[in-house]
Amino acid sequence: MNNHEMLSTGQTPISIDALERMLSNMTDAEIIDRHYNKDQKVTLLYIETLINPERLNESVIEPLNRGLHDSIYDAISSTKVSEISTMEEAEVALMRGCVILHDPSQSQWWSVLIESSLSRAIESSETETILYGPKDSFSEQLEQNITMIRRRLPLTTLKAERFTVGSTSKTPVVMMYIEGLTNPEFVDTARSKIIEIDFDLFLDSSHLAAFMEDHTHSVFPQYQQTDRPDTCAYALDIGKLTILVGNTPFALIAPITFFHLFQSPEDYINRWLVASFLRIIRYLSFFLSLILIPLYVALSTHHYQMIPMQILFVLLESRSKLPFSPFWEALLMLITLEIIKEASLRMPSKSGQTLGVIGGIVIGEATVSAGFSSTVLIVLVGISAIASFLVPNYLVTKSNTLIQFGFLVLSSFLGLLGIVLGIIGVLAHLNSLTSLKQPYFAPLAPFYWRGWMDVFIRGPLKYMKSRPEYLHPLQRWRYGRRR
Amino acid sequence: MKRNYCVSLLVLSGVFILITGCAPFVENNRIEEIAPVIFWSIDQGEEGRLSICTLVPPLVKEKKRLLTQNVHLLKEGGKLFNLIYYRELKLGQLRMLLVNEEVAKQGLNSLINTLFIDPEVSPRLYLVIIKGDFEAYIQNQLDKQPNLDYFLYRMFKHYEEKHQGEMSIVNLHTFMKNLHTPLSVPFLPVFKAGKESFTYEGTAFFRHDAMIATASGIDDQIMQLLSNDHYLRLLPIPSLSVTVGHIRSKVRIKLADSSAAVNVELYGRVEEYRGDKDILDHAEATELNDQIQTYLEKHTLELLQKMQRWKVDPLEIGRHTMTPFTKPMSDEAWLEKWQQLKFDVNYDIDIQPFVEKK
Repeated sequence: MNNHEMLSTGQTPISIDALERMLSNMTDAEIIDRHYNKDQKVTLLYIETLINPERLNESVIEPLNRGLHDSIYDAISSTKVSEISTMEEAEVALMRGCVILHDPSQSQWWSVLIESSLSRAIESSETETILYGPKDSFSEQLEQNITMIRRRLPLTTLKAERFTVGSTSKTPVVMMYIEGLTNPEFVDTARSKIIEIDFDLFLDSSHLAAFMEDHTHSVFPQYQQTDRPDTCAYALDIGKLTILVGNTPFALIAPITFFHLFQSPEDYINRWLVASFLRIIRYLSFFLSLILIPLYVALSTHHYQMIPMQILFVLLESRSKLPFSPFWEALLMLITLEIIKEASLRMPSKSGQTLGVIGGIVIGEATVSAGFSSTVLIVLVGISAIASFLVPNYLVTKSNTLIQFGFLVLSSFLGLLGIVLGIIGVLAHLNSLTSLKQPYFAPLAPFYWRGWMDVFIRGPLKYMKSRPEYLHPLQRWRYGRRR
Repeated sequence: MKRNYCVSLLVLSGVFILITGCAPFVENNRIEEIAPVIFWSIDQGEEGRLSICTLVPPLVKEKKRLLTQNVHLLKEGGKLFNLIYYRELKLGQLRMLLVNEEVAKQGLNSLINTLFIDPEVSPRLYLVIIKGDFEAYIQNQLDKQPNLDYFLYRMFKHYEEKHQGEMSIVNLHTFMKNLHTPLSVPFLPVFKAGKESFTYEGTAFFRHDAMIATASGIDDQIMQLLSNDHYLRLLPIPSLSVTVGHIRSKVRIKLADSSAAVNVELYGRVEEYRGDKDILDHAEATELNDQIQTYLEKHTLELLQKMQRWKVDPLEIGRHTMTPFTKPMSDEAWLEKWQQLKFDVNYDIDIQPFVEKK
């Protein structure tokens, strides 16, 4: 690209003065002049906190010192060399961890990628723990994360498109999908959504999800966040796409349905009967955690007739001297529980036990003996809290709490009718949601009867011959012979 | 657009509330402020009134006291209770209605209808006929058994769930069904209340809604075998020094113009024997079997003849007159015929001795 062409595209031609101005007041920026073949001068520019000094010596400095080649390009022993000509290219290269080389005799500029591989080791997932199965999880290193997926899916059709989002963070984003399997409509939609993003800072994949989701004001996550490469590989194989974001271990999977949030990688490791049982328990627990406390409020405020007499006996005894109405009592306890839950996340892990003692024993026991709460409610709050953690997706657990508060208000005003209206509302809302423009409540609505094998139960793997119909994969059968 | 959406949401919510029959204005049912009544006892009051009593507070470990009101109307009693007690008494958990024998003889229709049409009252309400002074019994037991009302409820529930033949436990729904079914006779359990005791007495039979008579002792046991449960956990026959247990029966009735043959197949085992026979001996065991058979045949015939005199047919023999293409016989016509019937009662007994003979 010559200077005239650059001016017409609004780009600035690269120059040593402009680069020096750009790197002024940056203590970690280095500009070094070296001599090559005694008479040739070479200028090296780089940011030392972003590059690997050992590789700089091996790939650039030592070859230049030896001077065995005629040109600088031939001397550099790296495959990641590219010629640059504009200031914009130079800025991007420097910030990615490149060394820029200037050859004044040829008026040429080269960038050599020798980024620092600063990363933590591959550890097991803390958010989606499983007993059996692969233990590795993503780290903040994007390339490493891609490698982990590629090792599980060694296919040339596994495409990885790279984007950069964030005007200040310049966060690298990689969208992965299997060409010829994933529905191209999903790929086009996701690509256009990423390209359209115009914002400054992206520190986590959830920031990206916030810009890509179809319904901003919903409490339900429309992208599955996971740090497990096996989950990503499975998702890619059944026809979904995975979006990896730089500097965060959490990848996004889309399109998802409500039912995907209840699936755990361990489902496919356990025996199918056990896995199905556990999955049903998860759904029941989710439902239980939503309605248990509102049910207590509804029954003890409006429908005393419906309480079995044996339970009424216990309930009357425990509520007879309380100062608060069932609604305020439940609200107080739920807010206390949320405070404890939030505190346990924020506190250093060594203080966790203390918090457990204070939260569980002191507050639980003390509220009952002080007469602020009934023992029945304490038991229900405990069951409800534990039940809410059975959902493998932590974001659902959080949205669950918010819905529970809504149900609580409804049950206080309208009793059981309120809870029923609330459930209808939630189901209607779920039915209206979409993830990457695909229905969120599939395969129930729209109904795909073949999807039953991997929704409420997890059928035997060898019978799960076809990929989910609602994902409209280009290759329907999972068995090679039947394609 | 958004406004239309909100309006339709409001209309829909309104429709949901209205079509489910839910009143938008609900009563205060907060459980710590109410006293859900478990039982009402109804006795003959002064000057033709009703004497209603209940125990308060129900289900709570507080000092109990008996509330009694003399009223003309049932719900009037409920209202007056509220005026003298600090918690509002609610009928939503009413589980037992104990009616005095004298009141039951005058007819239960008005009392039962009042409770049946109350949407708060569940049809799983046990109806019990009381002989004697139940109020005195409760008053006497206040300090000894504070949760007596709850334990009585548990007793009725226990015997209702598994038909064990001990008692004829009947709830409001079953009573109403029998009352309004042609050729059917409602019946209720009868308990005798003394100052210190509350004892099961037998089964009371009703003509329409009025109590006619009570079958007690062996009559009640035969009634359980032939009609109510078709099972008896234990049947002691002191005159033969034997207790037969786990008895199951199959009853076949053949109705002719002027006679009815009642054939009963009985299976059971001897649970206890204190007589002189060696029941391990086949001949003597057969003799005992024959004696039991004769005993049951005699008492069954006597019971049936009593029922004829009482003009009640709790065994629903009248249903055997029904044929597919003819008009059913009216209750009156059947009762006319019922009184004229000659009975032939036959038992076919298979009772195992408790030790297998080798």
